[in-house]
Parts: sequence; structure tokens; C-alpha cells
Amino acid sequence: MVASLAELYPEVPFFIGYWLGKGCRRMPVLYPASLQAADLRGVWIIFSAAGLLVAIIVYALIFFSILRWRRRAHDSGVPPQFKTNASIEITSVVIPLIMVIGLFYISYVREGVVDFLKPAPYAVVNVRAFRWAWSFSYPGHGIVQAGTPQSQPTLVLPQGKMTQINLYSDDVDHSFWVPAFLFKRDALPGYTNHFDVTPTQLGAFRGVCSEYCGLDHAFMTFTVRVVPLATYDRWLASGGTAAL
Amino acid sequence: MVGQRGNRSVMTAWLTATNHKKIGILYMTATGFFFLIAGVLSLVIRAQLAQPNANLVSPHVYNQIFTLHGTAMIFFVIAPFGFGLANFLIPLQIGAPDMAFPRLNAVSVWLFILGGLTVFSGVFAQGGGAFAGWTAFAPLSGIQIATGVGEDLWIIGLLMAAMSSILVAINFVVTTFLYRAPGMTMWRMPIFTWEMLATSLMILMAFPPLSAVLFELLIDRHLNGHFFDPSHGGNVVLYQHLFWFFGHPEVYVMILPYFGVISEIVAVFSGKPIFGYVGLVLSAFAIAGLSMGVWAHHMFTTGAVANGFFAGMSFLIAVPTGVKFFNWIGTMWRGSIRLTTPMLFTIGFMLNFLIGGITGVMIASPPIDYHAEDSYYIVAHFHYTLGGGSLFALLAALFFWFPKIFGVKLDERLGKWCFWCMLVGFNVTFLPMHLMGLEGMPRRVVTYPAVGDLPWLNLLATVGSGIMAIAVVLLVVNIVVSSLAREPVADDPWEGGFSLEWATSSPPPEFNFDQLPPIRSERPVWDMHHPELVTMQT
Repeated sequence: MVASLAELYPEVPFFIGYWLGKGCRRMPVLYPASLQAADLRGVWIIFSAAGLLVAIIVYALIFFSILRWRRRAHDSGVPPQFKTNASIEITSVVIPLIMVIGLFYISYVREGVVDFLKPAPYAVVNVRAFRWAWSFSYPGHGIVQAGTPQSQPTLVLPQGKMTQINLYSDDVDHSFWVPAFLFKRDALPGYTNHFDVTPTQLGAFRGVCSEYCGLDHAFMTFTVRVVPLATYDRWLASGGTAAL
Repeated sequence: MVGQRGNRSVMTAWLTATNHKKIGILYMTATGFFFLIAGVLSLVIRAQLAQPNANLVSPHVYNQIFTLHGTAMIFFVIAPFGFGLANFLIPLQIGAPDMAFPRLNAVSVWLFILGGLTVFSGVFAQGGGAFAGWTAFAPLSGIQIATGVGEDLWIIGLLMAAMSSILVAINFVVTTFLYRAPGMTMWRMPIFTWEMLATSLMILMAFPPLSAVLFELLIDRHLNGHFFDPSHGGNVVLYQHLFWFFGHPEVYVMILPYFGVISEIVAVFSGKPIFGYVGLVLSAFAIAGLSMGVWAHHMFTTGAVANGFFAGMSFLIAVPTGVKFFNWIGTMWRGSIRLTTPMLFTIGFMLNFLIGGITGVMIASPPIDYHAEDSYYIVAHFHYTLGGGSLFALLAALFFWFPKIFGVKLDERLGKWCFWCMLVGFNVTFLPMHLMGLEGMPRRVVTYPAVGDLPWLNLLATVGSGIMAIAVVLLVVNIVVSSLAREPVADDPWEGGFSLEWATSSPPPEFNFDQLPPIRSERPVWDMHHPELVTMQT
């Protein structure tokens, strides 16, 4: 049966594989675009696997109970009236406790790696958020890429080198999110945030404001262009005018 | 003339009611109206998001819609329905004639109703209603940006609701401690009453800070308070701390009553006592206690809080929640399970809430939250807990206790149709939202570009919301049709009720009981119907 179906429709597995592959490629969780994202992805994978395992076990127990002990027409009498079982109850505390301690450890260690600000970044970019656009400035190079709500600015980053981002807000709470980097950090008035990013993949990536900031929040977007190091240096030396 | 006077006296009776059952009905009816409004708003949201770059509503209107949808569902539907149900049930379940402070109870319900109307009235204000989201983060909710009076009405309405919640919680605590019938020891109270006790303690801890932060916001707006103005030494992170110090216990205020509902229903329709009674009670208080120490997990991406501490505390909450799941399964285990409408909604609750619980543990991890925070992944997560969880349990409670409250049993066939539409519609709406979030769609956006899988995922979600709308229509039809049929209802219409409310008539008389059965366990009515088995119990 299986063999004959495969003979009849040889292209089906190909198409399923093609669409799944295409869909997965759009999931930054599976295709991270920075060094930090690769670290963060590990946590996603481990937690998802643990969650899936728990879901399968609990769903199986629920469906088994319903199917096995559903009252049928010929059923009569009262089911057994037990109401506690110390060993099962203790197990149902201890096993989840061990699981969450393990998950906490993984999460805590990875967070330390990603949040650690390394010394001597290759580049520094000051990112300023305001209603409803972004501005990217490169201190010491006189380059300011300021956007307006009508035109998105571009953040240029060198591939394979660590850039330190300093994050400010002029008015209300905003949040700098590049889904491909699996990372966001809030831009808050009166408080400066810092983080490192080391892009690994060349290309253009979508960036958005993810903290609701009023009327045109949805249009407060930007583009991240990750370029080879030589192109980046040339672009910087030209004062931001050289072609990318 | 006589008829008119008669009508007026019915009206007066409801306006001046202090009986806990009437107060409970007022609460639940008001939440029903607020639910229908908030539901229609959510359909507008889904219609706008059905296609990319759509322009069905303007950003200004859209922002008001999602603000009102969230505010209404959280403050005026999910939590207060629990208060209404508890008002109706707690005195019945503990064998009391009424609540401890009946007139204070009347103050609570009318403050709640007027608070809701105050918030909703904002849409008629110049410049429209509040648009700063249900979280109203300063300085977005400050006078420089939210210039209209709509935001003030929102703040004042919420202050009224907060005060109402504090008063009703005091009533629940005092009633539970002091008004139990002879024989009804604390350890014989039904789980629902226990969960409401834990909920009330959380309200007493969490709602005063909410009132404080709302007052500070008012002072900032009108008296140059500068609490949240960095240019005068104020702090925007402080707003988030104060708000979430209320906000996270609040999400448990919206779920613990429904854990109680699920525990009652799963036991009755399995024909067995609740499994692990003591563990369930302790887990409720463990959740209530831990809920006070997790608030800043809403602030992982601010870079301004101790992420490790709040992540650890948040992970721990999974343990008492897991206990509840195992106890519900233990209750069904070897039982005699009847798949009535309330039981179907109960099972639907378990299936949905489990997904919300698992994604909850995921986003309690800061490295995961860095991607998920403020995206549609979060929208999916909290709808799985509050929609798939609390709302399903709310509907289970409605079908289960409707015959007791109104003396009308809802139609089972229509009820089951409602359940299946709800289950399918809910999951078709909210499952795709996980993927939208992973692909980078932020929440609270009026529209989105046609990139990746966003267009078809959003269209799918909109189709799902239509299926849910059908479920709500079926529910309304069911209530109307069943009420018109009005067949007499027995004391114990489900033939197997456990707690004392099933020992009196449906609906119960003014002071609840002519006489009480002996109370020798946590399910006196079951004991009454099975005298031959009582000695078997330990």
C-alpha cells in the first residue's frame, strides 16, 4: 500500500519536504542569524523538546482515562472511592521539581553567556528610538541613519564581528527586536541599555518595535543589513555613502 | 397601574438586593454583557488582521479596540465572573444563609458595574477612549500623549473595580472563616471555596498596589506628580514594577477560581471524591504565595531587573500547577466518567490549559523570552491560559450551576455543539499565533506586511474566531430556548452532586436551607445519597 502510493505520487514527498523546508527556513528559531541567536536557539530546542514530552504524557493520560473509564450504558454501581495515594502524589511533586530545576540551570547559564558584555567591540552603534522611527549613529564616524515613520532606516553591521549596541529612547517605552537574532531589548526613556550582537549570516533582516508605543507602533520598523567586513569598513570610511 | 408598580418593585428589588444569590446573579449577568462587547471587539481585531496591509479600521480606532478588549476581558469578565460565582456558591457550599457583610457585598457589585460602565463610556469622550493598552505603561498613558479624558475614565473605572475587588475579597475571607455550618470544618470545605479563599488573599495583596499605581498615574497626569517622568527624577521602570506587582497575581486571580470549578466538576462526573484533596488545597496556597514573587518576568527585556531570580520563581509555579493536573487525572482514574457538557468543557480546559502552561514555562526562561516577549507567541500563550483555560472553565461552570442558579437546565445537545465549536474555533484561532510570534509578528500592531507565512496564518486565525462566534451564538440560543422551555429541576439535577448546594432546591430559597444534611466529609450530599458506603471512607 505504502509502496504503491509512493509509486503513484512520487512528487508528494518532494513537495511536502520542499514546503516544510521553506517554512522552517522562515523560522528564526531554526535558522539563527547571529552568534548569540545560536546560543539562544539551544534553549528554545531543549525547552520545546521538554514541553513536547510533557504534553504527550499528560495528553495520553487524559485521553486514556476518558476512553477507558467512560461510563457505558450497562455500567452500574459506584466506582472505587479511593482519594489519595501518597507515593503518586509525592512523585507528582518531585519529578516536575527536578525538571524545572534542570531547565532553570540551562536557562540561567545560557542567559549569562548572551547578556555578558564582552570588552573591545569591533563596532559601536547608538540606537535611538522615538515615536515612530529609529535612528542609528556610529560614534566617531559622523554617520547618522535616521528614519521617519514613512521611510525605514537601515542598520549596517559587519559579518562575524561583535558590535555593541547602546539603546536609548526619546519619549516612551519601545523595544528593539530583530527576529532573526532571536533577541529584543527595551529602549526606555531615562535609562540606557547595552547588548552585543555578532551577526553570522549575510543579508537583510527585518527589525520592528515590539513594545506598544501608540498610534504608528506597527510602522516603526527598520532593516538590518549584514555585510562582509571589507564592505563595512569601506562604507564606514566613506561616511556612510558607499554602496553596500 | 398595578402592573407598573409591580414592575417597579422587581426593579427596586434588584437595585437594593443584598442577598448573596442576587448579587452573584448581578455579577455574572454584568460579566455576560461585558463579554459580548469584548467578544465583538475581538472579532473586529481579527477582521482587521485577516489580510496584510488592511485598512478596515484606522490605527487610532484599532488601538482603542484592543485596549478595551483586554481591559474588559481581564477586569470585567474573567475575574468578576469568578466573584459572582463565588458569591452565589460559597454560602451554599459552607451551609451559610448569606455572606458575612451583605450590604458591603451590594457596594462591591455596583462599584464593579459602574466601574465597567465608566471605562466603556470613554469611547464617547472627545478624542476617544483609552488607547494605552490594558497595561497603560507610563509615559504612554501620560497627559502629554494620552491627552483625552478617555484615559482618565479608564483609570477611574479601574480604581472602582479595584476597590470593589478588595471589598468582595474581605467578604469572602470573613464568610469562609466565620460562617461555616456545624460540622463544616476547614478541611471539609469544597475545593472551589478553598480556591476562592486563596484568590481572596491574593486580591488583598495585589489590588492595593494597583490602586496606588493608578492614583500615581492620575497625579502624574493632573497634578505634575513626575512619578514616572525621567526628566524630573521619575522612573518608567517603577511603573512596570508597580503594575506587574499587581499584574502577575492578577493572572492567578483569573485562574484559581476556575481551578476550583474544574476540581468540582471533574469529581462529580467521575463519580469519585477529588483525588489528593490536601495536595490540591496546598497547591492553591503555593501558587498564591509564589505569585507574589514572579512579577518581573514581564520585564526580562527591560535589562533593569534580576532576571535569574524571577525566572527561578516563575519555574517553581509549574510544580503546584502540575500537582493540580495529576490530581484531576487521578480523579478520573478508574472512575465512571459521564461526558456531559460541563465535563466536556472541563476536559477542553485541561487540553488547552496544558498548552498555555507549557508555553508559560518556556517564556519564564529569559533566553526564550528575549524572542517571545511582546510577540504573538505571548498573545497565544495568555489566550491559552485565559481563553482556553479560564473561559472554558467559566462555560463549564455556567452549564454545571445554571440549573441551581436559575432552576433551568441548559439543553445538552446545543451545549455539546457549543463545546465542539468552541474547542475547534479556539485552537484554529490561537494555535497559529505561536508561529506568527516565532516569525516575528509583534503584538498590538494594527497591521503587518505580507512577509513569510503571516498572511495565511492570520487568515486562519480569523476563520477560527468566526467559529468561536458561532459557539457564542449557540450559547445565547441555548439560554433563551432552555429558559422558555422551563422544565422543573430537581435539587440535584446532575444526579451525583457532592457539595451542599445540591441539598437544597433549585433555585435555593432566600436563606438557602430549610435543614442541612449531616456534614461528615468534604461531600455531604454524596454521603446522604450513599449511606451504605459512608463507613468505607477514611
